[in-house]
This record gives sequence, structure tokens and C-alpha cells, in this order.
Amino acid sequence: MKKVAKFFNKCSLGGKLSILFLIFLMLMAVFGTIFARHSAFIPSGSAFTAPNSEHFLGTDDLGIDLWAQLCEGAKLSLTIGICSALLSGIAGSFIGIICGYYGGVLDKIVMRISDILIAIPSLPLMIVMGVFFGAAIRNIILVLAIFSWTGPARIARSKVISLKEEKFIKIAESYGGGIFYLTFKHFLPAVFPIVMVSFIRLINRGIVSEASLSFLGLGDPTAKSWGLILNHAISFKAIYFTDFWKWWLVGPFAAITLTVLSIAILARDTEKFLNVKL
Amino acid sequence: MKTTTKKTLEYLLTLFVIITLNFFIPRIMPGDPFTFVSSEENSVNTVYSDEEVARLKEYYGLDKPLAEQYGNYLKNTIKGDFGYSIYFNDTVLNLIGGRIVYTLPIALASLVLSCVLGCLLGCVSAYHRNRFFDRSSYLLITVFSQIPSFIIGIFFLFTFAGKLGWFPLSGAMTIFATYDTPLAQIRDILHHAFLPVLTLTLAHIGEFYLLSRNSMISVLSKDYITTAKAKGLAKKRVLYVHALKNAVLPIITRLCMSLGTILGGAVLIENVFNYPGLGTMMRQAITYRDYTLIQGIFLFFAVSVLLMNALADILYRKLDPRVAQ
Repeated sequence: MKKVAKFFNKCSLGGKLSILFLIFLMLMAVFGTIFARHSAFIPSGSAFTAPNSEHFLGTDDLGIDLWAQLCEGAKLSLTIGICSALLSGIAGSFIGIICGYYGGVLDKIVMRISDILIAIPSLPLMIVMGVFFGAAIRNIILVLAIFSWTGPARIARSKVISLKEEKFIKIAESYGGGIFYLTFKHFLPAVFPIVMVSFIRLINRGIVSEASLSFLGLGDPTAKSWGLILNHAISFKAIYFTDFWKWWLVGPFAAITLTVLSIAILARDTEKFLNVKL
Repeated sequence: MKTTTKKTLEYLLTLFVIITLNFFIPRIMPGDPFTFVSSEENSVNTVYSDEEVARLKEYYGLDKPLAEQYGNYLKNTIKGDFGYSIYFNDTVLNLIGGRIVYTLPIALASLVLSCVLGCLLGCVSAYHRNRFFDRSSYLLITVFSQIPSFIIGIFFLFTFAGKLGWFPLSGAMTIFATYDTPLAQIRDILHHAFLPVLTLTLAHIGEFYLLSRNSMISVLSKDYITTAKAKGLAKKRVLYVHALKNAVLPIITRLCMSLGTILGGAVLIENVFNYPGLGTMMRQAITYRDYTLIQGIFLFFAVSVLLMNALADILYRKLDPRVAQ
């Protein structure tokens, strides 16, 4: 707790604001969906109601409350971002540690695989995979993780390669410390801060990819994601000639922009705080 | 020589993996090209009987065992035959060729623009390191480059095309327009391409800015720059002749590698602006479950990225005497 407070104090003004915004977003995702006044899926008023006391942010073309949809979108974006980053961060760290420690043929094969994954243009393949895996959230997370583990893996690998020549590791080995002991006692604590920064960046990547896919109409069509709301709003033919955009378009637009910016600023401040350079 | 063969093998392996992926992904996709039912306006739904479906599957070779389909696919792909689009009724190569004339110019234009602008800003920024200009432009560009490109695109589309009406809302040229002079036609095309190019440029300016800034900072601390300054050369000469020449290497290789990401970004941007390039066609192909066309477009993207990476490798070896030896 003390460490968190210290981190908060050390953050720049932008960093503090983004932490507050992200906390607000999480509250929105958790409580906004539980204690919602209106459903995010069923019409609860007439179409295109301007924001009023009943509908906080107005309604869309079907009369569905937009604030409720934004809360659902926040839940979806955060889930996808955090889960995919966790999955690829954890998997990547362990793969990197094992490759860096053992080296040899295994290391060569894994690095070749990651070379190939990096060379494949990710967005077009993700579009294709998004259709092939189906549109469920779980599948989007999996596809993202498959593409993102290479970053943390490379970082962890190079750290372990330089670490394993250190004397204290050599001594731990000579006392019979195996890979498990070394990993949890020495490698993970050293790798953690640098992977942490890459983890925060991967959250952003997940959120942006999900928004892009659902903007193209490839996400889960029944889920209420920010990209999908934008997609509906843009493809509504009269959007440019009416006033509906003021509440229909601005909400998800601001949500995506602010979230992505906050996470980026948070990543920068974490990098400074932990004093790592990627 | 040894590294060259190793590199070539690597690229060939990657290509093989991509072709294999490309073959299997559409086949595991849920859905079937013959059972598509649309609820969109203006579209005719065709329902096939079982016999017809069987006949069509036989005609397109979809009834053969998977291994045989795979073998045929590999053979045809290497021969350059990407197949025939079921939905658009044309060969995939023709379709891609018809659309690439829209995608490639906007991709190349924004690549050049973002590279030139990003490098210039980066150079100036590096020269005034830690001064007001550097700090503000660094902050602005790093923050701005985080915003996804399609969000920027929507913003431009809405304000400049929708509200202000300065630019057209969609398309690559005015439909049914007759032009008095070729110049008017060119103006019309540029008018339509402006916003997509601007969006893509802004989305990629950040990487060139950061790269050239870093590269310049390390070059500017070298001894030969101090010598040049001590000789009393003009600031501009030191910056653009002595320093930029040496800092430009990583930028050139990045230029090649960025074409891939720009093509990927163009997929999204084209869909925002309804620009009739490869990206919009890819979206249609996915909606209609057009196996061969999806395969073709994806393969096209992947191969162009690989070629560009290879070009970057070669250029780097050629241009940097330290690596060449």
C-alpha cells in the first residue's frame, strides 16, 4: 500500500489524472453494469432522446440508453485488455526465462517462431482470425495473446541471459538450485519491473485491437463494445445532418481516446518510476 | 555469403508458414460460401439445393480431402494463381490488381509524408534537446501517436467532411463526373484522397519522429560534429549535411518496414472513409465468406511485408559499411 502511495506521489500531473480516470473507468465497468438504471441491450425510451435526467447520455437509434452501453463497453474493453496482457505477459515471461536460461536448440526454435509472428502483419491476420475463431470475447483474448507474447518473452530472455552469468546465480546453482528455485527467487523479481511496463502497453494494444475489430464489424455483434457503438453511429446514414452525434458519437469516441491516453501516460510514468528503459 | 543464405532460408520459412496458415484459417472458419443469407437492403438471397451445393463444391474442389486441397493450393500459389473469387466472379489477382491502384498510392503518399515530416521534426527536436520546442513536440507526438488511427480518421471525417463540408464523405472520385480537363480529374482524386492520407500520415509520424530524434541525438554527440561546429560551419550545414547523412540509416530501413504496417493501417482507414481499396474489399470478402479472396488479400499483405523486410535487410547491408564487412 505504501508503495502504491509513493508511486502516486511520484507521478506527473498527467499520470495522477490518468490513474484517477482509470479508477473511474473500473468503477464504471463494475458498478455501472450492476446498478444500471437502464438495460444496455433493451430499448428503454424513445429513439434519439437528447441527454436528460432520465437518460444520462441520451439514447441511440433503437432507444437504448447510451450510458449503460458505455459501461458495458468499459467492462468489455478492460476485460479484454487486462486478460490478454496478463496471459501474454505471464506466458511470455516464463517462455523468455526458460529460453534464456537453457539456450540451445529450444531457444533457437522459439526465437524463430517469434520472428515469424513478428513478420506477419497482425491486423489483417487478426481480422481473418477474428472471423475464424468466432466473435466471442475469449477468442479475441486468445488471438491477442498469441500475437503479443513475443514482446515480454524477448525482454525476459535478454535479462536472464545477462543475469545467469552473475556470480550469485552461479553460487545458487552450485548449491543445487534448480530452474524453479532460480526462476521464483532470482529471475522473476529481476524480470518483473521491465515486463510490467510492457504489460501496461499490452493492455493498450488489446483495447485498441478490440476496438478496431469491432469497428470493422468483426467483434461480438451482441456485445456492447465502444468500437461497435462507433460503427453503428457512423453507418447511420443521417448522422452528419442531425444533432444525434453530440451524444451518440462523442461518448464512445471520448471513452476510447481517454482510456488509451491514460494507459499510455501511466506506462510512461511506471517506466520512470521503476527506472527501466525498454 | 553465409548470412545471406541463412536470411533467405528464414524468409522462405516465414513465407511457407504464412501460406500454410492462410490455407487452414478460412477452412476452420464457421460458415460456408454457399449458405450466406443477407438481411441487407438491395441484396438478392440465393438458396441452393443440396445437389447444387454438392455440384458447386465439386466444381471448386471443396469436396476433396484436405491434404489434396492443400497440395493443390501450394502448387497454385507458387505458380502465382490465387484462385477465383466466388462472390465477385473474377480472378483474385484481377480483383487485387483493381483495388491496389487505390490502396498503394495513399499508402505510399502517407509513408513519404510521415517520413519526411517526422524526420524534420525529429532533427530539429534533437538539435534543441530539452528545450521548450523539443519537450512540447515530444510530449505532443508521443501522446498523439497512441490514439488509434481509425479514431483520428472518424474525427477528421466528422469535422472536415461532415460538419464543414470541405471534403467528400466517401469514395475515391466523384461518381458519374465528367471532367473538362485532366487537371480537374486529378484535383478531384486528390480531394478525395486527402483525408485518408492525412490520417495515415499522422498515425505514422510518431515512429519516424522518435527514431530520427534518437538517431540524431546519438550522432550529434560524436566527435566529427564537434569538429564541424569548431570549423565554424553554419548550423544548417552541420545539421542537414553532417549529422542527417549519418543518422539517416535506421530511418531508411524503417521506411521499408513501415510499408507493411501502413498497408495494415490502410485496411481500417479505408473502411472509415469508404475508400474503394483493398481494405474495404477485405471487409466485404469476410462478410460473404469468400475463402479465396480473403486468402489472396491476406497473402498479398503478408508477401509485401516480407519483401519489404528483405529489402530493408539488403539496404542496411549495402548502406552501412560497418555491417557490410
